[in-house]
Amino acid sequence: MGETILEVSHLSVRRGGQPVVEDVSFALSAETDTALVGPNGAGKSTLVQALLGLIPRQGGSVRLLGQELGPRGQLPAAVRDQIAYLPQLFAPTGPLPLTVAEFVALGGVPWRQRRQAVARALALCGCQGLERRLLSELSSGQLKRVLLAFCVVRPRRMLVLDEAQAGLDAQAAEQFHNLLFDLRRSQGWTILQVSHDLDMVRRSCDRVLCLNRRLRCQGAPAQALTPPQLERLYGKGFVPYAHHHHTVQP
Amino acid sequence: MSAQSAPLLLLLGLPFMQRALLAGLLSGALGGLLGSVAVLRQLSFFSDALGHSALLGITLGVLLGLDPTLVLVPFAVLFALLVNALVQRSRLSADALLNIIYSSSLAIAVLVLSRFPRAGGGLQQLLFGDILGVGWLDLALMAAMLVVTVIGLVLNRRAQILLCVDEPLARSRGIAVDRQRLLFVVALAVVVALSIKAVGVLLISAFVVIPASAARLLARSFSGYQLLASGLGALGAVLGLLASAAFNLPSGPSVVLVQLLGFLLAVLLSACGRSGLAATAGWPGRDG
Repeated sequence: MGETILEVSHLSVRRGGQPVVEDVSFALSAETDTALVGPNGAGKSTLVQALLGLIPRQGGSVRLLGQELGPRGQLPAAVRDQIAYLPQLFAPTGPLPLTVAEFVALGGVPWRQRRQAVARALALCGCQGLERRLLSELSSGQLKRVLLAFCVVRPRRMLVLDEAQAGLDAQAAEQFHNLLFDLRRSQGWTILQVSHDLDMVRRSCDRVLCLNRRLRCQGAPAQALTPPQLERLYGKGFVPYAHHHHTVQP
Repeated sequence: MSAQSAPLLLLLGLPFMQRALLAGLLSGALGGLLGSVAVLRQLSFFSDALGHSALLGITLGVLLGLDPTLVLVPFAVLFALLVNALVQRSRLSADALLNIIYSSSLAIAVLVLSRFPRAGGGLQQLLFGDILGVGWLDLALMAAMLVVTVIGLVLNRRAQILLCVDEPLARSRGIAVDRQRLLFVVALAVVVALSIKAVGVLLISAFVVIPASAARLLARSFSGYQLLASGLGALGAVLGLLASAAFNLPSGPSVVLVQLLGFLLAVLLSACGRSGLAATAGWPGRDG
């Protein structure tokens, strides 16, 4: 068992007075890839936002890299710098006069090192040649890869992705997934990713957390994603659709 | 020398005209600079509401027998903080709420001013600006505000850009979103309050929105965008004032019309795919 990167204990989050996440506890070890799955409205995005301190929590505690997350989401800058987050809906609306290189540099590099760091990050993510393109001119696939470059521009220990493959076509999703897999190994990242792609989770993730307001099951995908567990999670008659990030509830 | 340019040159030699040109330069640059962020963060309607409500501040000054300039800045800041808090907490959409606030402020101010004919006599100037009446104190305050705004935007550059891109992403990088919004709203309120005399209640939002929107269509980098927005704001104001002097037109509407022409030109250039024309001070360099 490696170093514990994230420790969540009895976490509860309410939104609009309604409980969205209740009494969730789990821990992530270093350099593991964990998927968070569950039906729409299960509280997956809320959970990842709460454990990063982006929204308030109503109960429980979160420790990231050994540091307790403050009641209002405070985290020492040195710890926050080691964690990267890829939001679910990341698509600039209208013309955004920001070049790819300017954006990636905002990932947090000292001014003097920015050119080398940005060039290295873009190369790692297969975005060479995009430096001077505007963010609003990129395709969905390019935008996701540039977002990964924003994460990789400085060393991180943990990456949290909220449905990173949403909005990508089959080929772009596959490319993004392969890139993420390679980066995870080369950078030694611990990954927590919200996903609807159970096929991908089975193939690539070490562990899965099944959420529907509460944690319904967790463990290795082969053990946790059995038909009875899935039916319990998604509802009776659930049929997993072995294709990209879609699942179908008939 | 043409018959028209001789009186214009004479006018340019007059102190009030020189002050007016300086005021146009400063308020145009300030409006463009803050507008560059306001437009991307969808806060441009906020400047409109602030501008309209400024008339209420002026009315308050008239009722209290104080110099409107002295009342306007604290009034605008307090008003901006109040409106910001309301927008954050309300379940109504921001544009609906802002519309209710600004139209009500305007209505109350005009009704009150109508009861004080002496004070309300200058309503036309308040609504459309009287840039020729700008004094040295106004200019000094605008210049100081320009310096403060540039320093503020440079120091908070990363935060402001990330907030323009994606708020959750900015939060995840430890950006204090609420504090940044508050700082920006207060800066916008001060700039609106200082520029009202020159630009007028009804036209102030044009100073914020039009140059930034034109620059948004043309710029190829964020630094270039902010420089271009600021430059277009200043240039539009100076050209508008010169046109106003040359053709004996009201100053505020002349400036806005020149800015509109600049915007239409930007639309044309952007549509023609000539946006590279506006690449100014864009990083990175050719080596990427």
